Amino acid sequence: MSEPEITKIEVGDGAAIPRPEDKGLVSAWWIALFGAIALLVFLPWYKPDPYLNILRFVPDGILVTFEVTVFSISLAIVIGLLTGLGRLSRNRFINLIASLYVEVVRGIPLLVQLFYIYYALGRFVRVPDLVAAVIAMAFCYGAYMGEVFRAGIKSIDSGQTEASLSLGFNHRQTMAYVILPQAWRTILPPVGNEFIALLKDTSLVSILAVADILRRGREYASESFNYFETYTMIALIYLLITLVLSKLISIMEHRLSHYERR
Amino acid sequence: MNAADPIIRLQHINKFFGAFKALNDVSLDIKSGEKVVVLGPSGSGKSTLLRTVNRLESIDSGTIIVDGHNLYDPSEDINRIRMEVGMVFQSFNLFRHKSVLENLTLAPIKLKKMGRDQAEALALALLDKVGMRDRATHFPIQLSGGQQQRVAIARALAMEPKIMLFDEPTSALDPEMINEVLEVMITLAREGMTMLVVTHEMGFAREVADKVVFMDAGAVVEVAKPMEFFTNPQNPRSQLFLRQILAPATR
Repeated sequence: MSEPEITKIEVGDGAAIPRPEDKGLVSAWWIALFGAIALLVFLPWYKPDPYLNILRFVPDGILVTFEVTVFSISLAIVIGLLTGLGRLSRNRFINLIASLYVEVVRGIPLLVQLFYIYYALGRFVRVPDLVAAVIAMAFCYGAYMGEVFRAGIKSIDSGQTEASLSLGFNHRQTMAYVILPQAWRTILPPVGNEFIALLKDTSLVSILAVADILRRGREYASESFNYFETYTMIALIYLLITLVLSKLISIMEHRLSHYERR
Repeated sequence: MNAADPIIRLQHINKFFGAFKALNDVSLDIKSGEKVVVLGPSGSGKSTLLRTVNRLESIDSGTIIVDGHNLYDPSEDINRIRMEVGMVFQSFNLFRHKSVLENLTLAPIKLKKMGRDQAEALALALLDKVGMRDRATHFPIQLSGGQQQRVAIARALAMEPKIMLFDEPTSALDPEMINEVLEVMITLAREGMTMLVVTHEMGFAREVADKVVFMDAGAVVEVAKPMEFFTNPQNPRSQLFLRQILAPATR
């Protein structure tokens, strides 16, 4: 009758989140952070050509990477919410559509989806490369996000739904006033994790002529032939970004659990 | 509706959980203002029966009329009927993200379009009644079980229902907290609320009930006034049940 309770959602494809209780990971985080910063400072100082030149050329792409990430994740959250609700819907047709979407998306590699949506869109409408990239990323991540939302909603005790229904709320009101406001706390940490995963995966859009970090790096390398040096800097930049973001998520998680404990 | 008509009428209710027959041809009438206590061994279908009265549980056959509305008539608005029927759960089920006050005001504001001031005044009056006014700004997690249950009763009352359903309201409580909840329920009963209560509290049944319904294996086995039921049960299964629950106390 009542579903077993899911209390913690683990979607570990984003980054290692340095949770305070995981001492090893917290130490590793500090070492990685200082290491990355030290190298990003030391290398350009020690050998300005090519490292400093790379650092001058590549950062334009950071903004593009963030643009793609933020737009994609926003759209993916909307798609994910609808998909999660669809997967829990008692309407068989809606449920089937949502489930089919999740199955199809999860079964196709992201890179293939990117190419597919990019060229499929291109056959019908002329959209900027960035827009095509965002749509493709959001289409893929919406499916993963849908599962996060579904698990988050299901983690709320069915007694909450029953109490709400017994007062006279319908299912939609129950979702809006009672379930979702509570599910956010379960959902937010994995969403943060998906955010990091998506940010890393945006490196794939460099193949679609979107000038992100990786694309800028490739452009620099192909002109200067400093492949090793360029990719070293690129890896360090990505690492620094994800380290900072994973720490932010850890802080956010802690805040949320604190809220629960008050 | 005629004043003499029962406010709740269950006729020939059958319900299955898969192959298991949870309710077996149950019929029961409850008049307005009546207090009915449902007793029976665990698994006898007491809670299931209670939950059919506001359609939290579906039925497979039979008719349920609540305050003149047929619960399974597709043209009836179940949400509107539920507003008339308050429910108190074994596990309280307070909204964990809302303060005590907000737990009480949410439904009146959203469903009855009551103004915030009016809803809060009503909520505070009800909290006063259950002795929880000083905890209005607390969150459920900060309250004891007995306190949560009293708030849950107040939350149900905030919709000003005609009927109150109690699904084992004291079963999840530590013994020292049971009385504070029963006292609130007794007050409510004295005010004339129509109450349908599933409980194991025999003292409450004896003191408050107008009639006791004894269930076993999904069927209503005996309906009697509490005095008659506890002193002179007619059905062998009622007799066995009473012997089992009363035995340790008389030893």
